[in-house]
Amino acid sequence: MEASFGDLKKGQKNCQRTVPCQYFAPQKIEEALEILSKYGKEIKIIAGGTDLLVQYYDRLYEVSAWLDLKNIEELKEIKIDQNQIEIGAMSTHTQLESSADIKRYYPILSQAASDIGSPQIRNRGTIGGNIVNASPAGDLLPALIAYRAQFKLVSHKEESIVSAEDFFLGPKKTILKFEQLLSKIIIPIPEQNTYSSWIKIGKRKALMVATVSLALVLSMAEDNKIIQEVKVCLGSVASTPFEIMEIREKMIGRQFKQLDFNELGQLVEDRISPIDDIRGTKGYRQEVTKNIMINALEKIQETWGQSQND
Amino acid sequence: MPWKRYRKPGGNHRMTKLKIELMVNRKKRKIEITPSTRLIDLLRDDLQLTGTKEGCGKGECGACTVIMNGELVASCLVLAPQADGAVITTIEGLGSSDHLDPIQEAFIESGAVQCGFCTPGMILAARRLLEENPHPDEEEIKRGISGNLCRCTGYQKIIEAIKLSIARLSKSDSGKAK
Repeated sequence: MEASFGDLKKGQKNCQRTVPCQYFAPQKIEEALEILSKYGKEIKIIAGGTDLLVQYYDRLYEVSAWLDLKNIEELKEIKIDQNQIEIGAMSTHTQLESSADIKRYYPILSQAASDIGSPQIRNRGTIGGNIVNASPAGDLLPALIAYRAQFKLVSHKEESIVSAEDFFLGPKKTILKFEQLLSKIIIPIPEQNTYSSWIKIGKRKALMVATVSLALVLSMAEDNKIIQEVKVCLGSVASTPFEIMEIREKMIGRQFKQLDFNELGQLVEDRISPIDDIRGTKGYRQEVTKNIMINALEKIQETWGQSQND
Repeated sequence: MPWKRYRKPGGNHRMTKLKIELMVNRKKRKIEITPSTRLIDLLRDDLQLTGTKEGCGKGECGACTVIMNGELVASCLVLAPQADGAVITTIEGLGSSDHLDPIQEAFIESGAVQCGFCTPGMILAARRLLEENPHPDEEEIKRGISGNLCRCTGYQKIIEAIKLSIARLSKSDSGKAK
């Protein structure tokens, strides 16, 4: 036997295990929904487990039944057609990072996925888990809102589709009900002249929870001169990831040379409501948010400028 | 959220046991476990494969890294039943005491092992990286081991060891890396 420290730890785990605990790993969504409707609040859905198990082993809650989605192949598919892409909720960050379709049409979603955690985390963590966990710092979330993603929620009774911005209610709070499952993420194919930028700020490169993150997706009118649509979405600076709506009226219908980047940066800074926490202070977040907004605009202007010269 | 605050278990000591089957280091193993057992506990306690280390238990340090179905995973963040049917390689599955894996040799020669706690995870991360990309540059090496913390070496010797492994493996043909 090992040293007493090991035994003590083992003892604690055993005491946790004395509560009867069940485990389900169905092959079909329908079976999963059936189990979900039967057990309701008693069951915990597990996808990659990279957030869930950290919370579980910190003993934040007790689990009496697990519903593991790993065997449901349907949830791992990424399908694309002319109008939209459908990403199964169990697609891992590694899949998002390496999918050629996602790289081509949604480059900042791919980048955001590659910025998550570490290889070990990206291999297990899933897009669905990232969404349902609903961390204000969830790395994929600003990009998903910026690309106008919609989530398909299914239950044994009905299906519904909600847009990403309506899904999050607060830190770790969403509109998802106990009997519902997030099955896929649907994102429309962006317009031809779409430019995007993703900036994540934190203390190191790997295994870093964002102090501030920003996703900017901008599309130009057919002439590639006038801004037709823009979405600026932020993470870690409010209780949920969210879009700065006021940016739209300042940018849509204008050209790059008419924009005052400083003013736009200030506008973003004024609209966020960050807090002090271990990753950064409120003041730091405000300052940095303004700066990364300006950086993102400059980066997009540069890429756009290059496309003008071609 | 469908979870309850932790409560002390009452008089009910019934434990649900699950039978799972997995391949660990090319050997088929059938094990009975409780659903909330972690893969790392299954490996260390049930199979006595203590080469896999537990550092943080939160997926941040990479000491518990194993290769599961060809992918690097943190075994502290996998429930044992999630590994049902999986193929797993731990550090014990690489080489043997008289015949080390080229990466293990390179780690020793380069002085990439100090306290040794991160080494099993580090070597498996290196192995997986070289399987996927036999000739990574320095940035790719750093990214490949970005999920593994080392508090002794300052990483330089580890990176040198991986570079040495690249040379060794490409000389001895890619066959050995498999």
